[in-house]
Amino acid sequence: MFNLVAQSVLSGIGIGAVYGLIGIGFCVIYNASGIVNFAQGAFVMLGGMLTNVGMIKLGLPLPLAAIGAIAIVAMLGVVLERIVVRPLWNRGSTMFVMILATLAAQIVVERITQIMAGDQPRTLPVFTDLPPLRLFGFAINFQFLWILGCSALVIILLGLFFSSTKTGKAMRACSINRDAAALQGIRVSRMLALAFALSAALGAFAGILITPTQYTAFNVGVPFAISGFIAAIVGGFGRPLGAFAGGILLGVAQALAIVLLGAAFKNVAALSILLLFLFVRPTGLLGPAK
Amino acid sequence: MSLLRLDGITRRFGGLVALDNVSLEIPGQGLSAVIGPNGAGKTTLFNMISGFRPPSEGRVHFDGADITGQPPETIARRGLIRTFQLVQLFEDLTVLENVKIGCHLHTRGGLLAALVPTRAARAEEAAVEAEAWRLLTETGLTAHAHSFAAVLPYGQKRLLEITRALAAKPKLLLLDEPAAGLNRQETDALAALLRRIVESGTAILLIEHDMNLVMNVAEEIAVLDFGRLIARGKPDEIRRNPDVIAAYLGTEEAAHV
Amino acid sequence: MNSFNTIWANGRGNLATWLLWGLAAVFVVYTFASGGYLIAVLQFALIYTVLVTGLNIFMGFTGQVSFGHNAFAAIGGYSSAVLTATYGWEPLPAGLVGLAGALLCALVIGYPVLRLRGHYLAMATLAIGLIVYEVAVQWQSVTQGYMGISGIAPIGIGRFTITSDRGLLVFLMIAAALALLSAAGIRRSRLGRAFVAAAGSEDAARALGIDVARYKLIAFMISAAYAAIAGSLFAHAVGFVSPEVFGLPMVVMSFTMLYVGGIGTIAGPALGAIIISVLPESFRTFKDYQDLAYGAALIVILIYAPRGLASLPELWARWRRRSA
Repeated sequence: MFNLVAQSVLSGIGIGAVYGLIGIGFCVIYNASGIVNFAQGAFVMLGGMLTNVGMIKLGLPLPLAAIGAIAIVAMLGVVLERIVVRPLWNRGSTMFVMILATLAAQIVVERITQIMAGDQPRTLPVFTDLPPLRLFGFAINFQFLWILGCSALVIILLGLFFSSTKTGKAMRACSINRDAAALQGIRVSRMLALAFALSAALGAFAGILITPTQYTAFNVGVPFAISGFIAAIVGGFGRPLGAFAGGILLGVAQALAIVLLGAAFKNVAALSILLLFLFVRPTGLLGPAK
Repeated sequence: MSLLRLDGITRRFGGLVALDNVSLEIPGQGLSAVIGPNGAGKTTLFNMISGFRPPSEGRVHFDGADITGQPPETIARRGLIRTFQLVQLFEDLTVLENVKIGCHLHTRGGLLAALVPTRAARAEEAAVEAEAWRLLTETGLTAHAHSFAAVLPYGQKRLLEITRALAAKPKLLLLDEPAAGLNRQETDALAALLRRIVESGTAILLIEHDMNLVMNVAEEIAVLDFGRLIARGKPDEIRRNPDVIAAYLGTEEAAHV
Repeated sequence: MNSFNTIWANGRGNLATWLLWGLAAVFVVYTFASGGYLIAVLQFALIYTVLVTGLNIFMGFTGQVSFGHNAFAAIGGYSSAVLTATYGWEPLPAGLVGLAGALLCALVIGYPVLRLRGHYLAMATLAIGLIVYEVAVQWQSVTQGYMGISGIAPIGIGRFTITSDRGLLVFLMIAAALALLSAAGIRRSRLGRAFVAAAGSEDAARALGIDVARYKLIAFMISAAYAAIAGSLFAHAVGFVSPEVFGLPMVVMSFTMLYVGGIGTIAGPALGAIIISVLPESFRTFKDYQDLAYGAALIVILIYAPRGLASLPELWARWRRRSA
């Protein structure tokens, strides 16, 4: 029993890291604009989906297909920003209208995918096709290592981007005070588009990492978005590192719920954690971002 | 016997002391005023009284009960109704509807009255309608009754907020800078209205920048400076008080004192 | 939400509005006479009128947000389905149990949820809808999972049941009319004024003695009741419920209806429900594109006509100015 629990905690950490990446995607847009993008799940779904299409239809090797998919999804992020978010932003719509519009965009992307790719689940090959490593009696598969390694790399790169590049600093300035940033000559609207591109790429990357261990289909986006949102809330909305920690916490809690209560309760457990946090500690474990 | 009594109200925001041990009694009739330079803590004082912010220390008593820390709606139910420095109207509704909403406290109807137009429900609705028109006549807004509050000129928005507050039949009406942004003529009309309200038996506590208005209508004046009460008295006493003159010296208001 | 300076609420009709109403009336009469498939479409629109009217009370009147009203529709629908199909209850008591269940849930959930604001409120309500969806999928012994429950008896009392399509249409028309009338009654009453006051300015409402938290909860429960009734009506009218019926697309579709018709208005929900039900049906070969169309339409409306049909005259004027 202990071994089963420990083993599922381990797999929970892997899935949780993916939730964390999605949660960071929420934070990137939220920090740049104050918008919560409910279409975040579409990026995750498209990441896995497009990689699959690239490999099967175009015969590309996995790395190329993955890079292509991330690039396309990043562009789609900009498209979403241009045709949905920007017009609403310009007319000063309320946050609720913004949420509603992005949620509608999520449905639109979902249905287009369904029409074009059908509703059969698809998957990706694992990145390294070797039997799992045996360590201290645990089986550790390579995809788990890929997920942890890649997400650690992404977080380090993001950290460098925000702390050392001019663009990254400008984005941080926007999150601190949009008007002041504009006065400093930072083009806030370009930052918004960039935030959507970055966030979409993060989502797609997360989708590609997780798909080999599960599957992807047109309708996996919303559950992933919810998990990412929960990660962001638990971490204190707007804190990327907090979101990552929140994701791992959620992944582990979910894995435990599956072992102890059965697979049927996976999503209910996650949603209950969300409600619990919203009711008891809406500022997250670490407190609000500012 | 005072209607409103403040005992040692202190309010700190972080390290800043916005109100420092303010004690004050406001009678149940007549017009009292609190004046003071910008940032003296006047609006903070109103927020403590009306329940929008709790005081850090001290008690607020109203009409014989301790209301410290009670929520705004409970305090309003006791008969203490306030207006806001930045006018807070229901902008998307008509002027008439704004005033009808003011009648909330003195009517009863719930879901049943909304769905089943019984005789009692219709009578109450008719009474609300009549009362709203009476008040609009009182404040001279009848011509705008069916306009949306959003399109009223600024002065009339102020007037509407007072009208709506009167619909709640306050024992004490708190007015937060009602003359701000009004021209001379409008201010004079406001002064006349305030006198009529006081004559009809409603006490008023006023926060104001406009010295002309205050000296004109107030019977009792309290002066706040940097969160402290520095003077109290009749308008003439206040006008001659050296502390008050010092507090206002160099400020724009000094010219008016 | 700039809601009440709309043509429906103050009765100052204009040509465009009357034209729409005329078209709607012609459509209803035509449907009634011709029968056939259009009757089913109109029945669907009338059921949605009830749901969207409820949503409008919470969102349009009270200015709140709920992405989770499909939860209450599901509670109503499944109560009716399970109690009549599995346990052989009469439709009326089954529906009442669903209504009571939805009200209870709204009370228990609403109390903590309504303290939240902005995206927290949106996400919490969305989560509630998803939880109920998950339960409908997973609780197979009662709900039969994805399969859903079929063979639900038609509506009726005792031996008197409504079996004809036209009879059901008339019944649903009465139900939708009652929904609209009750919403109009609420809007005109003290209760409705407290709702719109909470939407207009919470501070001002509280300063006038309106217990905003309490009225938000009341509005939430009232709108949950409409949703539960719509869910029950759906179960009996269609004879089938499944988790997909009450899924996220239902939420997006009801929002589309609300925004097309005009949020905050009285008649908007009915008009929106009819238009959104009829338009996709008129090119039914594209069945797969329905949710896509709802989603895209909603985005376009939010951007260009956030007050729905009520903003038509304004758009018309702008277009004329530009072309002149």
